[in-house]
Amino acid sequence: MTSAIPTQGASGKTRDRDSLVRFASRNGIYLFLVALFAVCGAISPAFLRLDNLGNLLSQFAPLAIVVIGQSFVILVRGLDLSVASVMATAAVAATSFSGRDQDAVPVLALGLVIGAATGLLNGFLVTKRQVSPFLATLATMIVLQGVRFAWTHGAPSGSVPPIFRTLGAGSVDGIPYNIFALLAVAAVAIVLLHKATFGRQVYITGGNPLTARLVGIPSDRVTIICYVISGVLAAFAGLILSGFVGVVDNWVGKGFELNSIVAAVIGGVALSGGRGTLPGALAGAAILVTVFNAVLLFGLPVQFQIIIQGLVIIVATAFYARQSA
Amino acid sequence: MLSLTDISKTFPGVKALQGVSLDVQSGEIHALAGENGAGKSTLTRVIAGVHAPTEGTMSFAGQPVAWTSPRDATAAGIHVIYQEFNLFPHLSAAENIYIGHERRNALGFVDHRRTRRDAAEILKRLGVAIDPDALVNELSVADQQMVEIARALVHDVKLLILDEPTAVISGREVDLLFERLHALKRDGVAIVYISHRLEEIFAHCDRVSVLKDGRHVATRNVADIDRDTLVSLMVGRDMHELFPPRRPARAAAPVVLEAKGITVPGRVRGAGLDLRAGTITGLSGMVGSGRTELALAIFGVLPMGGGSVVVDGTSFTSMTPARAIALGIGLVTEDRKAQGLAMLLDVAANVTASTLDQVSRRGFLDRRRETAIAEAAIQSYRVACRGPSQPVALMSGGNQQKVVVARWARTSRRVLILDEPTRGVDVGAKMEIYRIMQTLADEGLAILMISSELPEIVGMSDRVVVMREGAISGVLERDEIDEAAIVTLATHRDAA
Amino acid sequence: MTDMALPSRDRARLRRMAASNAGLLVVLSLLVLMLLIGAVVSDRFRTFGNVANVFEQSTGLALVSLGQTLAVLTGGIDLAVGSLISLIICLTAGLLDGDGTYMIPVLAGMLALGAAIGLVNGLGVVYLRIHPLIVTLGMGAVLQGVTLLYALGPVGSVPDGFDALAYGTFGPLPAAAVVTVLLYVATALLLRSSRFGRYIYAVGDDGNAAKLIGLPRTQVILFVYAFSGFFAAVTAIYLVARFGSGQPYAGANYTLASITPVVVGGTMLSGGRGGVMGTLFGAYLVSLLNNLLNFLDVSTYVQLMFQGLIIILAVSLYVEKRKSIA
Repeated sequence: MTSAIPTQGASGKTRDRDSLVRFASRNGIYLFLVALFAVCGAISPAFLRLDNLGNLLSQFAPLAIVVIGQSFVILVRGLDLSVASVMATAAVAATSFSGRDQDAVPVLALGLVIGAATGLLNGFLVTKRQVSPFLATLATMIVLQGVRFAWTHGAPSGSVPPIFRTLGAGSVDGIPYNIFALLAVAAVAIVLLHKATFGRQVYITGGNPLTARLVGIPSDRVTIICYVISGVLAAFAGLILSGFVGVVDNWVGKGFELNSIVAAVIGGVALSGGRGTLPGALAGAAILVTVFNAVLLFGLPVQFQIIIQGLVIIVATAFYARQSA
Repeated sequence: MLSLTDISKTFPGVKALQGVSLDVQSGEIHALAGENGAGKSTLTRVIAGVHAPTEGTMSFAGQPVAWTSPRDATAAGIHVIYQEFNLFPHLSAAENIYIGHERRNALGFVDHRRTRRDAAEILKRLGVAIDPDALVNELSVADQQMVEIARALVHDVKLLILDEPTAVISGREVDLLFERLHALKRDGVAIVYISHRLEEIFAHCDRVSVLKDGRHVATRNVADIDRDTLVSLMVGRDMHELFPPRRPARAAAPVVLEAKGITVPGRVRGAGLDLRAGTITGLSGMVGSGRTELALAIFGVLPMGGGSVVVDGTSFTSMTPARAIALGIGLVTEDRKAQGLAMLLDVAANVTASTLDQVSRRGFLDRRRETAIAEAAIQSYRVACRGPSQPVALMSGGNQQKVVVARWARTSRRVLILDEPTRGVDVGAKMEIYRIMQTLADEGLAILMISSELPEIVGMSDRVVVMREGAISGVLERDEIDEAAIVTLATHRDAA
Repeated sequence: MTDMALPSRDRARLRRMAASNAGLLVVLSLLVLMLLIGAVVSDRFRTFGNVANVFEQSTGLALVSLGQTLAVLTGGIDLAVGSLISLIICLTAGLLDGDGTYMIPVLAGMLALGAAIGLVNGLGVVYLRIHPLIVTLGMGAVLQGVTLLYALGPVGSVPDGFDALAYGTFGPLPAAAVVTVLLYVATALLLRSSRFGRYIYAVGDDGNAAKLIGLPRTQVILFVYAFSGFFAAVTAIYLVARFGSGQPYAGANYTLASITPVVVGGTMLSGGRGGVMGTLFGAYLVSLLNNLLNFLDVSTYVQLMFQGLIIILAVSLYVEKRKSIA
């Protein structure tokens, strides 16, 4: 693999031009998001209506929660393809309870345990067995899928307790509750990554694993924790999403594995590790959700949602997250 | 053969080369000298077609040329041996040598047997015992360098550029390299030779061109110039100012770290040494003698297969970097880019990486404290940078090295180990690093300096430990230290 | 080095051979193991008919994985193959629509389309300098959308006799599977002994070095994605001959499925190491596993789980060495 480190000619850049470039490259993603909003609003006034914005937010929340976990993993040079499988498995497991609110705690606990266990397994395979993250998480994804299907015999029924329904689909003054769940998660995650010592360990581990080893950072542990964070957040998002949808099936969260990676990458989290921020990744998620929403709103056939999704992935990445190799 | 006229190369915001004019004739070895950052590697890359010049013209073999990619330059007969290897670690040595110039059979397919046979032939001519079937990642760094060199000999080269080829090889290999270069020169090949080792320039080169700050300063016949003049052309400083003045001998300093019978399977055989407070101990020996591995074992990066490390009376038979750090040991590794630095992170983060607990309070980073520490380090180590928040990737090699040293100086309460601390660093930064080492030793630190450069070992060390074939072959105290004695201990059996 | 006696050099050579063929060894031993288990647990499993069946059912997966292997060898990946297969299945069935008149031009056009779309992927990787994962993922989404615009449900049909492409036989053997083996052998030979084949390995091992020493890195990358696209089209034509009509999600599962044989066969996702023969046996292994689990009356759901376990098992067996400091 080529190194992602620019080594040429960057030594004595003139300051103003340099800082301009840096401003654009640091904030390009947010500028793009604002521009996207403006364009969508200009094309369709309905886009900026409160009910649509609320709708947008409630779709944003589950994806954003998964993106946060995914970003932790990508920062340590990993990748988590198992998130969607974890989401569905947590949701399916939830239906094995009574479906009443008094079971909310065990439902939540079981879901989070599933997420944590998957993350632990992923992290173990990646660090102790040196399996490539793509494969390790692909394998756990498939295994979980098999377990889930065997358990439900292909046809799960039931729903999550009403409290998740409220959390996933309810709103107050047009602001969906799930946004509050996201805000809480995001606040903790941002503090953890950008203020706490653990976050620095994440960046050093992802930036140069050999350095991490030399300076005595327990990088295996740091990496495993990142996968656990991803698993736990995916499970949580799965419960919220199934509350949003109302019914649980085997495919809760379908597409989230790829969308979460894409959102993080659009948001500037480099697949080569050690580069990117959570606010950037969240902006990436917002861009994706906005595009999906706009396609429907503009009355385009739903197929265009997929086509435009593909194009946005490529175009946005080409703009903001070029490999510097 | 090659003629450059007014070549300039501008990267966004930086003028790497300004109006460089230079010509290299066939049948000469033309040295290119200059400090790091003077523009030598940018110039190399322009000649090799990696960068297109912003201004100026280039002609090669009498034709004006404008490469669009390294492919054009290669096809025209230019071969570059870059300082960073361009080898394929999972291809065999033979395949690496012939890649791009494959030995083929009548049907146009790659002839694997001939490739192997011819590669063995070439390696033999270079005087190295490398199995042509060995994968390159199994080879030592010195052997990898020889494979790089062999690559230049298998096709029709008109211009050969070598960037610091002797940084990782020593003794006989260096001699054989120059033997080949002189043979190529006789065949009319034009050779551009880049090296920090001035003695090589004086021994083997015909002309020398000096670059400074992206400009061409002078081109002289080597015969018409002396060492001091060359150095002052490069930096404007005199040679004998390089090393700090010798310090008075200290009365028997206490031993702070003792390595006893350390073994690293296949690399180090029962090596022992002791490090004393306030003393700079030089560790010398040929590349591959086990110097680096001994240091890595002491620091806990390589597992000890036997032996122990005694620090302040406590004996450890196993070590980890975390424990070594806790004991007050620091290690500046050989390759800062690959091992030492997290390039994307800023100066502050790199300086505090090994002492995160000191800048953390209840699990949170104390940014203000971290910035203060970084600013202090920038000041006392004279790191040229925009400030604590500049990513280290955007700094010169010498300044990056100072960042690494600053980090470990903070960790080291007892011992600081430096492995090739001045490799690939310009003269100015070299002097700074020597000064820092001196200061740290004066403050009572025990310093272990591994180096391939004999003048550096002789100029800096209070004691010298020499290794050969994984074992300690001798220790020289103050008055016994000179280059000849070290060479004898390092090569002894080979020389016979 | 000097004291290295001949025996130890031979041993080194042996060790190297074992190491560079680790994938093949692992996947072959797993194959043998599974054959033994099958032979013990079921009489019907041992029949020639059943083995031929396994052989035949591996064909689709083997074809698409052949292209995938080359992409992975350069350190890339092609996640567009599934959607590309769906698109070409639908287009082929739709354009032919039961009529064989334009069969040759349609098939030729489809193969060219596959290669062209692959080429576009390659252009994205080279000139936009985006990670192949992202480029091909985006392309996959675009292609799936286009496929759905063309057909939301089953579409078209194939002319009479078209199914011979899938069900024809060579004596007692399924012809398509035999042709697949020949394609693999030819690719393996070219990878080993053509200049371009060696460059594929070199680019995967260190792309930057390849560029600096003047190897045609750009052409290599463009080629492998075009190759992968071409073989996705071949797979699609084979599948449409099997199914008889188009279905807009028919290829969806092939995206991730195509990676299993590649990695089980010992090709490293980091590039530069591995080869196509391992992939072929990897495809047989997957096919055999499903067949065996069918005999054991294991539900398709649990079969899925076993596939995941096989990946973990195989990949753990040839762990990559940790990047070491010394």
